[in-house]
Amino acid sequence: MKTIANLSLVTAIVVLIGCKPSESKNENTKSSEPTGKQYLVASEPDDSTPVGEARKGAKDGDAVTLVGHIGGSTKPFVEGIAAFTIVDPKVAYCPPEEGCPTPWDYCCTQNEVKENIATVKIVNERGKTVSEDARQLLGVKELSLVVVQGTAKRDEQGNLSVMAQKVYVKQ
Amino acid sequence: MLLPWEYGVRNLARRPLRTMLTLAALSTVILLVFVVVGFIRGLEKSLSISGDRDVVLVYSVNSEENIENSAIAARTPALLAASVEGTQQRFGVTHVSPEMYLGTRVNTDENNGGLGLVRGVTTGAPLVRRSVKLIDGKWPSSGEVIVGQLAAAKLGYDKQDLAIGKQVVFENKTWEIVGQFAAGGAACESEIWCNLADLQTATKRQDLTVVALLLEPGSSTAEIELFCKERTDLELRALGETDYYQSLQQHYKPVRILAWLVVLLVSGAGVFAGLNMMYGAVAGRVREIATLQAIGYRRRAILLSIVQEGVLLAAAASLIAGAIALVLMNGLAIRFTMGAFTLRIDSVAVLFGCGIGLLLGVLGALPPAIKALRAKVAVSLKAV
Repeated sequence: MKTIANLSLVTAIVVLIGCKPSESKNENTKSSEPTGKQYLVASEPDDSTPVGEARKGAKDGDAVTLVGHIGGSTKPFVEGIAAFTIVDPKVAYCPPEEGCPTPWDYCCTQNEVKENIATVKIVNERGKTVSEDARQLLGVKELSLVVVQGTAKRDEQGNLSVMAQKVYVKQ
Repeated sequence: MLLPWEYGVRNLARRPLRTMLTLAALSTVILLVFVVVGFIRGLEKSLSISGDRDVVLVYSVNSEENIENSAIAARTPALLAASVEGTQQRFGVTHVSPEMYLGTRVNTDENNGGLGLVRGVTTGAPLVRRSVKLIDGKWPSSGEVIVGQLAAAKLGYDKQDLAIGKQVVFENKTWEIVGQFAAGGAACESEIWCNLADLQTATKRQDLTVVALLLEPGSSTAEIELFCKERTDLELRALGETDYYQSLQQHYKPVRILAWLVVLLVSGAGVFAGLNMMYGAVAGRVREIATLQAIGYRRRAILLSIVQEGVLLAAAASLIAGAIALVLMNGLAIRFTMGAFTLRIDSVAVLFGCGIGLLLGVLGALPPAIKALRAKVAVSLKAV
């Protein structure tokens, strides 16, 4: 009977270890050494405009300098190309102590995001979007605060995109 | 020196009733293992083959992973076709499929209340859903539907209730079944397809649930994703169909973990059945085992012979359970939230079932054998 008890104990331990939940991915995806240093600037550009203000004032073709946090949805980066969305820093995201696994989706302030979001495309000298993931290209991650310099692209629906050639990663 | 092979075999026949009962118990346990592993394999297979690598789904960003909750503007397919490059085009036709997808009560003349999955489609659907094959009947026109091979299983109805020529009622409208389709076991095989415009009229909706696009060879989802990001006013998101079903795999992970836990618990019950039988068998043979030691057989040889008995019995039970599972259980349709799938008693299920079966034989025989061999020979010889 002792053997049976031992066997039961071992089985119980295996079950308990097997059922232990994996640690929650509460951290942002890690950024690595940037591969596109030609797109990065060392000092912060002057007169950067928050995204919300730019959406109100910028016209199609204007040269703009926008500041914002990378985010706005669960997956703010476009896989495989250097494009992502940024949100005005005035819009609050879930603080870390709340334990939200994806604070960059602004789940609690989605209504504010609509008027404070812009799409950033990193373009090369020929104006084509760089075909490399922005996380590798710029060494950024979700919620990184970035300043982007480029040309605004507006449409009739009020959406704002920026063809950026220079990026300053603030934090 | 080892004990003869026949010794172990004959020992099983010495107590036929006990042997048969243990065989029945072990067969039941192993059959349960086959069923649960077949369930897991069927679910995994259904999800893994459901996605097409070249298909991108565009749906509402607010619906997260639940496409059935999505509602997007009816002009989305035209906007996508006009704005995004990389979508497959042949003979001037862009391979885009606007669809409305919903779960609703589907009634027949014989049955009521079954929850079915209905997809309103256009003739663009077969261009994008390349795994779908019309196996009988014709493509539906107004007021008609075609049913997937597993639709009856999803509804919990008899297959005959969804035969061609029969009628189904959903969304307060009667529809005639005019065809049957197969999709190689993919999730859409449990759906009912009808004309998109008809379904929009029946549901009094103008919107769509999802737009599926077939990419050109070499294209990626990036451009469509970028379009969705830039057009924030449309509140769209794009996801590769394989990624979508992979996310469902994650969604059903707790179910799979639970199923493996059931395998473990059922196997545990099997070990105890084996232990019970072998303890009984060995307890009545204490003197015999001591005599074998006295005439020169090593403990290891006797242990091996007892384990041989257990493994023989478990192997026979594995064969019986395997045969039943392959003949009666394989391909059995199972209802599930996402639709229906079939139990798959494939090579992995057979390996697991038979492996666990043999393990039950070894684990069930070892403790009683060790216990019997620990006793002193002189004492055991005098045992009553």
